[in-house]
Amino acid sequence: MSVRALRSYVLALLAIAVGLGLALAAQGLGIGTLERPLFIIAIVATVWYGGPGPGVAAVVAAALCIDYFFTPPLYSFSFERQDVVNVGVFVVFALTIGWFAARRRRVERELHRALDQLREEVAVRTRQASLLDLTHDSILVRDMNDAITYWNRGAEELLGWTAAQAVGKRARELMQTVFPCPVEEIRAELLRTGRWQGELTKTRADGTEVIVASRWSLQRDADGRPLAILDTNNDISERKRREDDVRKLNAQLERRTLELEASNKELEAFAYSASHDLRAPLRHVAAYAELLQKAASAGLDERSRRYVTNVLEAAKKMGTLIDDLLAFSRIGRAETRMTLVSLGEPLREVLREMERETVERDIAWKVEAPLPSVHGDRSMLKLVLFNLVSNAVKFTGTRSRAEIEIGCSHGASEDVVVFVRDNGVGFDMKYANKLFGVFQRLHLPEDFEGTGIGLATVQRIVARHGGRVWAEGVVDAGATFYFSVPKP
Amino acid sequence: MDGLGRILLVEDDPKDIDITLAALEEYKLANEVVVVRDGAEALDYLHVRGNYRSRAKENPAVLLLDLKLPKVDGLEVLQEMRSDERLKLIPVVVLTSSHEERDMVASYKLGVNAYVVKPVDFHEFVNAVKELGVFWAVINEPPPGSVARRN
Repeated sequence: MSVRALRSYVLALLAIAVGLGLALAAQGLGIGTLERPLFIIAIVATVWYGGPGPGVAAVVAAALCIDYFFTPPLYSFSFERQDVVNVGVFVVFALTIGWFAARRRRVERELHRALDQLREEVAVRTRQASLLDLTHDSILVRDMNDAITYWNRGAEELLGWTAAQAVGKRARELMQTVFPCPVEEIRAELLRTGRWQGELTKTRADGTEVIVASRWSLQRDADGRPLAILDTNNDISERKRREDDVRKLNAQLERRTLELEASNKELEAFAYSASHDLRAPLRHVAAYAELLQKAASAGLDERSRRYVTNVLEAAKKMGTLIDDLLAFSRIGRAETRMTLVSLGEPLREVLREMERETVERDIAWKVEAPLPSVHGDRSMLKLVLFNLVSNAVKFTGTRSRAEIEIGCSHGASEDVVVFVRDNGVGFDMKYANKLFGVFQRLHLPEDFEGTGIGLATVQRIVARHGGRVWAEGVVDAGATFYFSVPKP
Repeated sequence: MDGLGRILLVEDDPKDIDITLAALEEYKLANEVVVVRDGAEALDYLHVRGNYRSRAKENPAVLLLDLKLPKVDGLEVLQEMRSDERLKLIPVVVLTSSHEERDMVASYKLGVNAYVVKPVDFHEFVNAVKELGVFWAVINEPPPGSVARRN
C-alpha cells in the first residue's frame, strides 16, 4: 500500500474521529443528536479528498462509532435487532452520498484535465496563427458560404481591411473579385480536386485594383464534407504591369517591323521600276543621239557635233549613276549570308582583277599576310575590299610610282581593323565627314571619274556587319582608309 | 500581221523596237523579225490563234522577250511556253532593262536560254542585239518545227 493511500485511510479515520468528537461534545452540551449529519460530512470529505476506498473505511468506522457511542446498550458493539436496520439505513445513505461525491469528484477532475488540454491547444493555435501573420502572403479562410473566418496580417496589408472588419463578410462581395472564368467552374474544380489556382482581380478597401495569383485549398471534415476554403494570395500587379509593358512594346515593335517591311517593299518596288523604267528612256536618248550622229554627222558643224557627243556622254553617265545607285540599294535589301571569311582570299581575287586594269601602271603592292578571318558575307566583304583598293589605284593615278599597302592593325579591341593605304592625292581632313556620303565627291570629274557611290557602299556594308569606317588623309600626301568588323 | 519570221521580238516600247530593228538591219536580219507588242499577242502568235490563226504553223527560231509587258508579262509568257509541248523547245532570250537578281533567277528557273540586260550604250546595245540575232537566228540550229532560213 502506498504512502498516499495510507494517508487517505488515516485521513478517513481522522475525519470520523473529528466528527465523533464534535458529536460527543454536542451531546454533552445538550444541543441534540448531531452524530449522523456530522459523520456524513466526514464521509463526504473523505471521499472528496481520499477517494472511494477510504470512503468505505470511513462509512464502516462511522457505523461502528454510532453503534458504540450512540446506540443502546451504550459503549458496547452489541445492538438490538431494530438498530440493525437503523445502522443499515445509515450505511446505505452514507454509501450513496459517498458514491455521488466520488462521482462528482471524478467529473470535476476530468473537467480540469479537459480544460488544461484546451488551454494548451489554444496556446499552440495562437502561436500558429501569429506565425501566419508573419508571412507576406495574404491568407484568408472562408467557409462554404464564402463568409470570411480568418484574415491574416498579410491580407490586411494587401487589401486594407483589418481582420475585425473582414471576418464575417462575404469574401466575393467585400473584394469585388473578378474571376477569369465562371465561379461555378472554379467551385466544381475545387470540389473535385481540392485545389484551384489562378489570377484574380480584387478591389482594395481604398478602391484601387490589385491583381493576385490566388491558390485555393479545400478543407474537409472527417466525413469528407467540405468545411472551409483556404485562400493564399500573392500580389502580382507589378509583374502584370511589366508583362503588359513588354506586350505593348512587342506590339509596337511588330507594328514598326511591319511598317519597315512595307517601306522596304516600297523601296524595292521603286528600285525595280527604276531598274526597268529609268534605263529605257536613257537608252533611247543614247541610241537616237548615236543614230543622229551617224545619219547627219556630215551636215553638222563642229559645235553641233560636240553637242551630240555631250548628249551621248551625259546619257552614258546617267546610266552608270543609275546602275551604281541600284547596286547600292541592293546592298541594303540583300540578305547577308554570314560565314567565316578569311579576308586574304577575296583580297587576292580583287588584286587579280586589278592587275588586268593596271598593266600600264607602276604600282608597288604591299600586302600583309595573313589577313584575319572575320564573320561576314563573303561577296559583300569582297566588294568593300574592291572599292577601297580600286579607289587607291584611282587616286594614285597621277603618281609615277604608286604605293598601295593593305594590312591589319592589331589592337586590344574587340574589332578586326583592316586598312588600305596609298600615296595618292589624299584629301583635306576637314572634308573627311563627306567621304562616305552617297554621291559625295571631293574631286572634279575631269580629274578622277566616279559616281561617289563606292565609299557609301563600303560604309553601308561595314555597318551591316556591325563595324565602322573612317579615313585619314593629307592633301597630296596619300590617304588611309580603315574599316572594322567584330572579331569572330 | 500574218508574217512568218525566224525571230519573234516581244517588245512594247516602240523606240526599243526601232533601235532593235536598226541593230538587226546591220546584219540584214530585220526582215526575219516579227514584232508583237505584249505577252497576250505573243501567245496568240505562238499558239497560231486570234490575229495569227492563218499563219503557217511553224515556230520562230528564237524569241527575244522583254519582261515588263502589258497584259501578260514576259515571265508568264515563258511559263506558258515551257508547259506547252509544242513551244517548250523554242530558244528564248530575255532582253530586258532589268538588272534585278529576282528577274534573272526567275527567268533561269523557267529555262531561259540567255538573259541579256540591254546596255545603255548604243554601240553595246547594237552589238548585243546583232550577236544575239546572228547566233540564234543564223548560227544556232533551231529545234525541229521551226521556220526554215530564207536565202
